[in-house]
Amino acid sequence: MAAAMELRCWGGDWGLPSVHTDSLVVLAYAKFSGAKLTVSPVDWTWKTLTAAVPELVCGDSVVQGPTQILNFLRKRRLNADYELTARQGADTMAYIALLEEKLRPALLHTFWVDAENYSNLTRPWFASRSPFPLNFFIPSRLASVALARILVTKGEGLLHRISEVEGKIYSDAKECLNLLSYRLGTANYFFDNSPTSLDAFVFGFLAPLHKAELASSPLQSHLRQLDNLTRFCDNILAAHFSADKPCPLPPVQQTMDANLQKLTQLVNKESNLIEKMDDNLRSSPQHKPHRPDAKASLSSSKSSTPA
Amino acid sequence: MSLAAEAFVSQMAAAEPWPENATLYQPLKDDQILLSDHASSLSVQAYLRMCGLPVQVVCRANAEYMSPSGQWCRNWALGYFAGHSLSDALDDVQRAEMKAYMELVYNMLLSAELYLQWCDDATAVEISRPRYSSPYSWPLGKILAYQKQWEVRRKMNAIGWGGKTLEQVYEDVSQCCQALSQRLGTQPYFFNKQYVFCLPSCPCCLYGHVAAMADRLLKSNLTYFLNQQRDYLACLKLIHQRKAGHCCGVCKT
Repeated sequence: MAAAMELRCWGGDWGLPSVHTDSLVVLAYAKFSGAKLTVSPVDWTWKTLTAAVPELVCGDSVVQGPTQILNFLRKRRLNADYELTARQGADTMAYIALLEEKLRPALLHTFWVDAENYSNLTRPWFASRSPFPLNFFIPSRLASVALARILVTKGEGLLHRISEVEGKIYSDAKECLNLLSYRLGTANYFFDNSPTSLDAFVFGFLAPLHKAELASSPLQSHLRQLDNLTRFCDNILAAHFSADKPCPLPPVQQTMDANLQKLTQLVNKESNLIEKMDDNLRSSPQHKPHRPDAKASLSSSKSSTPA
Repeated sequence: MSLAAEAFVSQMAAAEPWPENATLYQPLKDDQILLSDHASSLSVQAYLRMCGLPVQVVCRANAEYMSPSGQWCRNWALGYFAGHSLSDALDDVQRAEMKAYMELVYNMLLSAELYLQWCDDATAVEISRPRYSSPYSWPLGKILAYQKQWEVRRKMNAIGWGGKTLEQVYEDVSQCCQALSQRLGTQPYFFNKQYVFCLPSCPCCLYGHVAAMADRLLKSNLTYFLNQQRDYLACLKLIHQRKAGHCCGVCKT
């Protein structure tokens, strides 16, 4: 008889079973693969400080991190990817890498670094879910970890500031959302008609962004214009996390409308240009004399508008 | 400078023709360059040769410090070449896949290379630190080598690789190579049967990493995984043959 599995994760809110991306990935995968997990939220316990959330405890084994937990479940024959071809499995790995590299920094910034969102939503939420006296420093510790992650992976040296990378990480994230939207198209899931680990990862990344009541977020506005991605999140919530009996997903008939196409084209163009300018502007000194006048006039005329 | 202004400047730069005397600077080939830098350099060279753009490769001890971003090879290869629209022949879904596979290569292979070079104590002490500090006199070389190691370890911790063991890293590389091999299948290229403008930068990055791993210092560790993926290596050889004079120049580097 298999040992009972207990998952420690952050609790839910905003209509989601968990507000934490990695915890949501594991919860979604457990639903898709039929794994019976006992969910133990770490809220209001000292595990908010000590546990590396999400954490799966099965007998004597303790597994941390969504990728390791999913591998552990697969080894126990709880495999939502069973029907995928080898090529689709390869695509899954690639898209997960895309999410981690392009979308995660912007999500961390939106929730933990953006001053308005952090002070109005994230900090109060996590402080209210942590026991005294941890509520005074758990949110700020998580915020500093998030900031360090962004700067170390996206920053350009030891002396870097977040404002210098903000534009790039948001444009990368918008491009990533566009790519996911194109890949999903009008289907209910990314591969055929049954959800897989890629669907779990995309759901885990997108659902908090879709559902949170953020004060200021260009990324959330961008996501809300990609109807197929918001519909994807809502469908998974209705089909797998609803308290009522899950209902079959309605067939999807509409195609992307013209406005949506235009939006994604514009953002693609923006992100391509920003990639080029990223190195153009930092080109070696012998290139700089070519355009001194253009730079001087531009910096005086255009105002700064972070993405 | 604001984003809009920078985009405008980029547009202007994009209209300029490719310069005849374009130069690619890399660390010293025999004594200094490490696996990950060599891989990045090969990727860029492959990309430029596939585009038919002439470039001269010059070795400099301070190549790393020439680039303000520290990510010179990657961003260059991705988007600099206006007028050489490598991705235009792909549809939206293929472009999404291309970008996803590029991130897989960078995320997995580059991280593994950095881990093996700097987080594995044996390699760091015997190979990476001596090579990295070779152009500099004592104590500058020692200080720079330790600083580089500290930076890379910090990055590995940030992306969650700090707690991994060597075996776990090998497992990840193996899975990555299998995924890439599956994606390539028996086709000559990743995204089309045709050459050059249907061939985006993904295989160039890949070629760079694979060629570097097959050729360099950590032979005993990483080439093991490459040898498992015979289809994949055969297809890379096909890339070499198709490009004849172009890639032969790259292979010799």
